[in-house]
Parts: sequence; C-alpha cells; structure tokens
Amino acid sequence: MPSTPSSHKPRKKRRADISSNSSNGTVAIDVQSKQEKPAFPLVAFFWPARTATSQWVILSCIFMVVGLFRWCTAIWPYSGYRKPPMHGDFEAQRHWLEITVGLPMTHWYFHDLQWWGLDYPPLTAYHSWILGKVGSLINPDWFALYLSRALDDADLKVFMRATVMVSEYLVYVPAVVICGRHMARLHNINPWELSIALTAILMQPATMLIDHGHFQYNTVMLGFVLASMSNMLAGRPLWSCVCFVAALGFKQMALFYAPAVAAYLAGSCLFPRIRLFRLICIAATTLASFALLYLPLLLGTLYDNRRNVPLPTDIQLPPLLSALPFDLAESAWYYPYVLQLAQSIHRIFPFSRGLFEDKVANIWCAIHSSGVHKLHNYSSSLLSRAALGLTLLSILPPCTIIFFKPKKVLTPLALAVTAWGFFLCSYQVHEKNVLLPLLPMTMLLASEGGMKPSTRAWVGYANILACWTLFPLLVRDGLRIPYFVLSLVFAYLLGLPPVSFELYTASATPDGAGLHWFAKILHLGTYLACIAWHVVEAFFLPPTNKPDLFVVANVCVGAAGFGVCYLWCLWRLLSESGILQDLGLVKKEKLDDDRKRQ
Amino acid sequence: MAEMYPSIPQCAALATALKVLLMPAYHSTDFEVHRNWLAITNSLPLKEWYYENTSEWTLDYPPFFAYFEWTLSQMASFIDPAMLQVKNLGYDSNATVYFQRSTVIVTELVLAYALHLFIKSTPPSNKKQAHAAALSILLSPGLLIIDHIHFQYNGFLYGILILSIVLARKRSGLLASGLIFAGLLCLKHIYLYLAPAYFVFLLRAYCLGPRSVFDIKIFNCIKLGVGIGVIAGLAFGPFVYLGQMPQVLSRLFPFSRGLCHAYWAPNVWAMYSFTDRVLIYVAPYLKLPVNPGAIQSVTRGLVGDTAFAVLPDITPRMTFTLTLAAQIPALLKLFLQPDWQTFVSTLTLCGYASFLFGWHVHEKAILLVIIPFSLLALKDRRYLGAFRPLAVAGHVSLFPLLFTAMEFPIKVVYTILWLIVMLLAFDRLTPASEKPRVFLLDRFSLLYIAVAIPLIAYCSLVHQVVFGARYEFLPLMFISSYSALGVVGSWVGFLVVFYT
Repeated sequence: MPSTPSSHKPRKKRRADISSNSSNGTVAIDVQSKQEKPAFPLVAFFWPARTATSQWVILSCIFMVVGLFRWCTAIWPYSGYRKPPMHGDFEAQRHWLEITVGLPMTHWYFHDLQWWGLDYPPLTAYHSWILGKVGSLINPDWFALYLSRALDDADLKVFMRATVMVSEYLVYVPAVVICGRHMARLHNINPWELSIALTAILMQPATMLIDHGHFQYNTVMLGFVLASMSNMLAGRPLWSCVCFVAALGFKQMALFYAPAVAAYLAGSCLFPRIRLFRLICIAATTLASFALLYLPLLLGTLYDNRRNVPLPTDIQLPPLLSALPFDLAESAWYYPYVLQLAQSIHRIFPFSRGLFEDKVANIWCAIHSSGVHKLHNYSSSLLSRAALGLTLLSILPPCTIIFFKPKKVLTPLALAVTAWGFFLCSYQVHEKNVLLPLLPMTMLLASEGGMKPSTRAWVGYANILACWTLFPLLVRDGLRIPYFVLSLVFAYLLGLPPVSFELYTASATPDGAGLHWFAKILHLGTYLACIAWHVVEAFFLPPTNKPDLFVVANVCVGAAGFGVCYLWCLWRLLSESGILQDLGLVKKEKLDDDRKRQ
Repeated sequence: MAEMYPSIPQCAALATALKVLLMPAYHSTDFEVHRNWLAITNSLPLKEWYYENTSEWTLDYPPFFAYFEWTLSQMASFIDPAMLQVKNLGYDSNATVYFQRSTVIVTELVLAYALHLFIKSTPPSNKKQAHAAALSILLSPGLLIIDHIHFQYNGFLYGILILSIVLARKRSGLLASGLIFAGLLCLKHIYLYLAPAYFVFLLRAYCLGPRSVFDIKIFNCIKLGVGIGVIAGLAFGPFVYLGQMPQVLSRLFPFSRGLCHAYWAPNVWAMYSFTDRVLIYVAPYLKLPVNPGAIQSVTRGLVGDTAFAVLPDITPRMTFTLTLAAQIPALLKLFLQPDWQTFVSTLTLCGYASFLFGWHVHEKAILLVIIPFSLLALKDRRYLGAFRPLAVAGHVSLFPLLFTAMEFPIKVVYTILWLIVMLLAFDRLTPASEKPRVFLLDRFSLLYIAVAIPLIAYCSLVHQVVFGARYEFLPLMFISSYSALGVVGSWVGFLVVFYT
C-alpha cells in the first residue's frame, strides 16, 4: 500500500524522521531516480507503516502473519505420522502428556523408557501435565493411560498443534519482542526497523519447520533463553538466572548456552570492578531457581509417600546413586527424594548413548561418515573425552572474551559462538539442535547495522544452510513442500540466494557494510552446492553400496558451513569486544568509536 | 512516479507461499466436482459431456469452462492418470490434490495481471488509492477461503472480469471489454447477474453516439454483434449442432433448487426466513395461520424447496422481478451518464440486487458485490462508509463454508488481519467527500463491526459448549442474519451515495 496519508489527517511523524536515522540498512537509494526504496522485499511490506502507525497495530499484524505461516505448516504431517512401530516425536510428546496425567508423580521418571520414556527435565513434565489435563477435558481418550499409545486422531493433531502454538505465543514470541526492544534501545534502532527485524526473526524457517512441522516444543526453551538474554541486556542479572534455569529445566539442550551465560554473569561481577555481593546473589538465585524447579516433583514424592504409592516393581537403581561412595539407607526419610532426583538426572543425561545421533552436520559425524576417519574403532569413553576436550577448546575463546569484557552488546554473539562450538564439537547432538546457535545469531538482525548486507548475508546464510541440513529429516516426515516454501519465503523476504543474488552482485558500499569478496565466494559456493545437491537428490538414486551418500554429502557441506559461521561469530565477537584494541592490534581511532558506541 | 510498496508481485509471491502451504487443507465437495469434470472432459467425447451422470456432480458450467477443464486434463494425465477416470469417485491422491490446487494458484495470475493493468490505467493522482484497492482484491480473504481452501476457480474468473472492467476505461477498449465479458459468461454463467450493466453501458457508450441517442454507430454494432456471435458460437455451437441445447440449458439453470442455499446466503431471503422463524413462535398470539409441514424444513435450511410457515411462499418469478426492479433505476442512470465510474457503480448495484433478491443464491456470490465495489471504495469517504460493513459482513458470511477445526484459525485470523490492514490503509488514503456524509451511517457501521467479534466467538465456541450438537442451525442463522443486515445496510448506504 502506498504510504502517505491523505491530507485530511494530521500526521504525527514526518516520513523523514524515520528514514534519516535508518542506520540499519533497510532503506536503499535508487541509483536512477535518487528515491528511497526498500533494500529487500521484507522492508517493502513495512513501507506503508513508515508514517505514524501504532506499534501495537504493527505488532499484532506481525503476530497474525507469522501465526498463519506457522498454522499452515501445522496442516502438514508430523514426525512419525502412521509410522509404526515407534512413530516419532509427536508420539513422544503425546505419550508424556499421557503418563504425566495418568501416573503418580513418583512414576514419571521411572516409567517404561523403551516407549518414549520421559527424558526431559521437570519443567517439560509439568508443562505436559497441564496440557494433558486440558486435553483430557476435551477428549479423555486422547491421553488414556496405555490405551492411547500411537493414537493419530485428526482432532488430537489439531489439539497438539494448538498446544505448540499457544506455548510459543506465551513464551517465545513475547521473549523475542522484549529482547528485540532491549537490543533496539542498546543499538539505537528505530521501532520501524525493529518491527522488520522481529518479523525476520519470527520467520526463521528451521524453527517453524521443527516445531510446527516435525513437532517439538523447542520454542519454549528458546523463549526462556531469550528472556534470560533480555534480562542481561536490561541489567537484571538475577532474573536472567531465573529465566535461564527455566530454559535448562525445560530442555537440557539449553546447556549449549550455559558457559557463555555463566561467563557473562561472573564477568559482570568482576569487571570493571569487583562486586562480591552481586556474585553471591547470582549464585543464590540460581540455586533457589533449581530448588523451585524441583519443588513440585519433591512435593509430589511427599504426597505419594503419604499415600503409600509404591514405585514400579521393575525399577533399577539409577547409576548415579549406586556410584555413590557410601550407601544410603533405604529407610531414611530423605531416600525417596534423593532417588527421584538421581533418577531424573539419570534420564536427562543418558551418557550411555552414542557420539551423535543419526546424521548430523557436526565435526564428528562429518569425519566419521565422510570416510576421512572411521570413529567406531575407538572406545566410547575415549571418544567422549575427545569430544569434551574439543568442545572445551571451542568454547574457551568466546567465554574468555565475554568474561573479561562483559558488555551487553556482546551477549548475542557470545551465546551464538558457544552454541556453535557445542553443536559442532560436542557429544550427543541432534540435527535439530542447530536451532540453538541460530537463534542468537539471527537476533543480530536487531543490532546496529544488522540488516546491512554484511550481517544480513551471514545471518541468512546460517539460516538457509541450517534449514538445508534438516532436509533429510523433514523428507522423512513428509515435509518436503513446507521446507521449500518456508525456506524460499525467508530467502525471498531477506533478499538471499537462491531467490536474489543482489547481496553478492552489488559492489562494496562506501560505509564498509558490503560483503568481503572472500565471504562472497564462500557463500555462493555453499549455495551452489546446496542447489546442486537438491537437483541430484531429486533426479538420481544413491548408488546401492552407498545408500547414505547424499545425506553424508549434506552433513559434510553443512558441518563446513557451520564451522565458518562459528568462525565468523567468533571474529565479530573478538572485533566488537575491543580486545584487539586493548592489545594494540588495531589503531586507536576505532577504539574511540567503540567507546562512543557503548 | 515513485514505485509503491509492497508491489503486486511482492504480495502475490508471499500470498502464493501461503496458498501452497494450504494445499493439504480441507477441501469441499467442489474439489471432487472439478476432478469429475477433468475426468469427464478428458475421457468422454464432447457429445456426452452434458449427459454424463455417473457422479452426482454433473457438469453444470458453460462450455468454455468445460474446455478449460479439458485443457487442464491434458496436463493432469502426466501427473496422475487415475484422477481422469469418471468411475474414480472421490479420488484424492496427494498428486491429484497438489495438481488441482496448483491449477488454482497458477490461473490466479490472471487476477494479478488484471490488477496490475488496473493500477496502470488509473490517473497518477489516484494511483495510491488504486494500488490499495488492487492489493485488497489480490489478498482478499474471500478468495483465500473459497478458492484455496474450499476449492474453486474464482481468482481466475474474477481476474477476467476485472480485465474486462479495466479495458472499458478507455473508449478504444470497449469492444475488447464486451467480448471478454461474453467469454466470461461462457465460462461461468453466474456473471449473467452483471450482464444488464454491460448491456446498457456498451449500448450507450459504444453502439450509440456520445451526443445523441439517435446517432447509431452501425459499424460498432456490427463489430460487437459479430464478436459476441463468434464467441457464443465457439462455446455453444457444437452443442447446437448436436441438438443438445435443451439438455445443456437444463444443466445450467436448475430451477428445481430451493430459494435458499444450504447455508443461507446473507440476503433478503435469509432475513425473510429468520422473520418467518420468529413468527412461528409469535403467530399463535397474533392469530396467524401456521403451516405445520414447513416448520422442519425451515429450521434445516437444506437444499430443496423451502416452505414458509407463516409468511407467503416465494416463487422464482417473484425473485426475478424483484432483482430486475432493483437494477432498473441504476441502469437508467448509467444510460444517462455512461462514464466508467457510473458503470462500475452499476455493476456493483447489479451484483447487490442479484445477491439480495436472487433465487438460490450461494454465499460465495458475495464476491460479485465485494470485488467491483473494492474498485470504488477509495473514491471518497462516503463510498468507504458503505464499503466497511460489506467488507465485514461479506467475509464473515463465508465462515460457515469451513467448519473443520484445523481451518478455523486460518479463516478467522486471515480475515481479521485483512480487515485491520485494509481498512486502516483505506482510511488513510480515502479523500474527504465533496458532499456531506450521513453520520448516522458511520455510527451504524462501527457498532456493526464491533458486534462481529462476540458473534464469531459465540458461533464457533460458546454455542458448542452450551448446547452441544443441539440447535445446530442457530449459529448459521445468526451469522447469515447478521451478515444480511450488513449487506443490506451497505446496499442502502451505497444507494444513497450513488443517487445523491
């Protein structure tokens, strides 16, 4: 829609207001007509809103648009739809609703592990319990104990999809908006550009495909992480701890971020001056949050003990408990509580599983399956130690930087680098975990210059590549078409390949916001590889002796690309932290620039 | 002239993405209707097309649409030949669904192109308004609900209609406009409702001279007559030659159907039925005679003869007379003042008249009013005032078409989004009127729009919670009576604007 209001209404803001301080790379100048134009299609959709439009109207429209895309993805099949014997993640989540509603609390973490036993932290269990209670009100058959296994009723699908949607709109979406606002304040970005960035963040294809297509509740955990980050930006470290514990308590994968969060919080107590009281408060809040997290489970144990509900007869003592150097008396009053704690931790961290699951674009899988070096010759303890060592090595630089330079502007980058490090090097990684490093990296769109070609190209690159590495998983779920639609929509909106090559053909801009030629080659090479891979995958079958050839190719390209993303984020972190200036590696003027920025 | 953003292609791209995602969504029996027509036209010789009745969904569109289906079926045979067998009733393999859905999406490009021409043909001073109107049509929730979920080809057909309307803007395009409209009539005969406006407009503006009614342009008459003749010949010629015209016509005009369609289109007859329904309870006090046999049929409102319990019955002849009577004043005005604005206004009024008073009107026919009206809605604030209740009522009345839980959020959220964005944009862009406005109408429309929200909530949720499966006609009746009020209200508003 055209943008100027008609003459009869007074405008609140002049158009020039917004354009003049549009520092963020959304508005370009047309070479011929010298007129302003949107730098990429997403901006065009916000063009009419450049003049006074209530932020609340814009925000609610954004919610509706991204909601429509999510719900339309939800129409498609989910993981494990009509796939006996084990079905998939949908059944896992549904089953948790079933057992939390149907079993006494003490049985939750002891119930049959083989059929999707509960192996997420307690907050997921409580969440499942609430959803299960609501669902049972609508239709008690959906979550009937034992009888509802592998149910795939059409109405059940609608209910479950709606629970993902509601959970996301209660946690993730507000967190994105609030976090975006804090970033905008920090980087001096106008509300109009923030709206554009928020839309881009909410349209991340990988997150939508995994949560609303494949079926999971990742956005709840991601939302808590963002809430934690936004509290850091707002200077409320204690709330940040609470939110981060909530994230950990919902899905243990939030551990990917933990070192960076810990380093930032610790660093903020020591630099620029030592604040011991703050450190104590942070430690105490964290402990209290964990206690609060486990409180319902322990109260449930108390209640079950009072009622004399026996544990299942076939339970095994959690190894954590048997590994204790001293024996615990079974008759002791605290024994049932310790048992529950030990069992839940045992379930949440299954150290006995393999190095990686399925085919995932991380270093280990790439090394192993590409045939460079077969890893199954080594013992699993050696491998896990190697993974641990490499992970520590990869997260050491970002954590060190954020520890010594605990600046607010650095938090998204620090979280991103650490999560990339974990994703690439650690133990027990799923392909879906790529969502974790993606989120803070995508949040960079709401930072200064975030939508200028230099950053937008990299954020887009990581998102498109991540989505592409999920393709084999999505095809198994019957989500081929949503994959293409959502990733192309994202590429189109942000002006990325394969829809638009404008970012790569334009010459470097005077303010240095263009892309380095090396990055251009790297990106274009990867995009070309992805497109070629899709063509080959569509028209050829893999050779019979190498049935996984295409997946392996996908994994190797993905791992390489993610490695580059890790390095880019690390470089950004390093250059923005000011450490280089401190060490005298960069000239002084830039330092002053940076000082001003803070 | 600066470019306007978001442009038509940009919106079309984003909307297409959403439509592709909607492919596996619920589709109505119209999906099977069109699949059956693909099968009939592909596998049977022409002479059997209008006789084939294996499926209950017989071919009841004019021949051009049958040719259109034949063309599609040529491609369909590469996708999944099984969908082309007449005996394969209710066949909907994934390939079939994807194929048929994509034909709807691709043929809708006609609409995008027509809207592009519409903006291009608008004088620069009104370009922004035209752009907003064009986007509102392109992104219409009506088209999304009817075409991309329920399943029909309205985007394509309304694209042709708009193409014809746009061509009529210039004198040089009048002939092409008339011929394209003739072609459109041979695609879907529902547009006959708009034909009187075309007839009068072409007669006055093309066949008669601009100065006098007696200055007959013989050459123009011949061109138009021959053109229409050729088009009608291409469409109906083969069937005339085969001597099948009575059969074809009986398929096209099934007057055996009832006054009201299954879901009570929001027109005068819905209000009439509602009144009758109320009178059943009131009649004993008023000492009015009640027809006991009619009580059941009114509550159900299903296809078939609708009988009224208290009020007099309605015959097709009466509806026809009323429709014409409602059209004639507008047509007279068009005859006296044959400019493009009046033409589009008259088209809108013809749409109104036929929708409000017609026999067996589908709720989908509301597009016949909304789409021509959209082209005018931003002319000045008086037009916008009349358009607002129509935009709400027209789209809310389409909600009962989709009754599945999965599609419920889509229709509601999309419609609300469209209403917010479009009405805000229209509100900003519409210039003030030179003539005074009737402020009462504005109040009415605001109140009216506000009522929509509790009504939708009641009909979709509260009613089911309170009554369960009982009184299931009640929500439908509320929605159609509510919408009827809005449509009639906007009609009255538009009449005031048009004649003053």
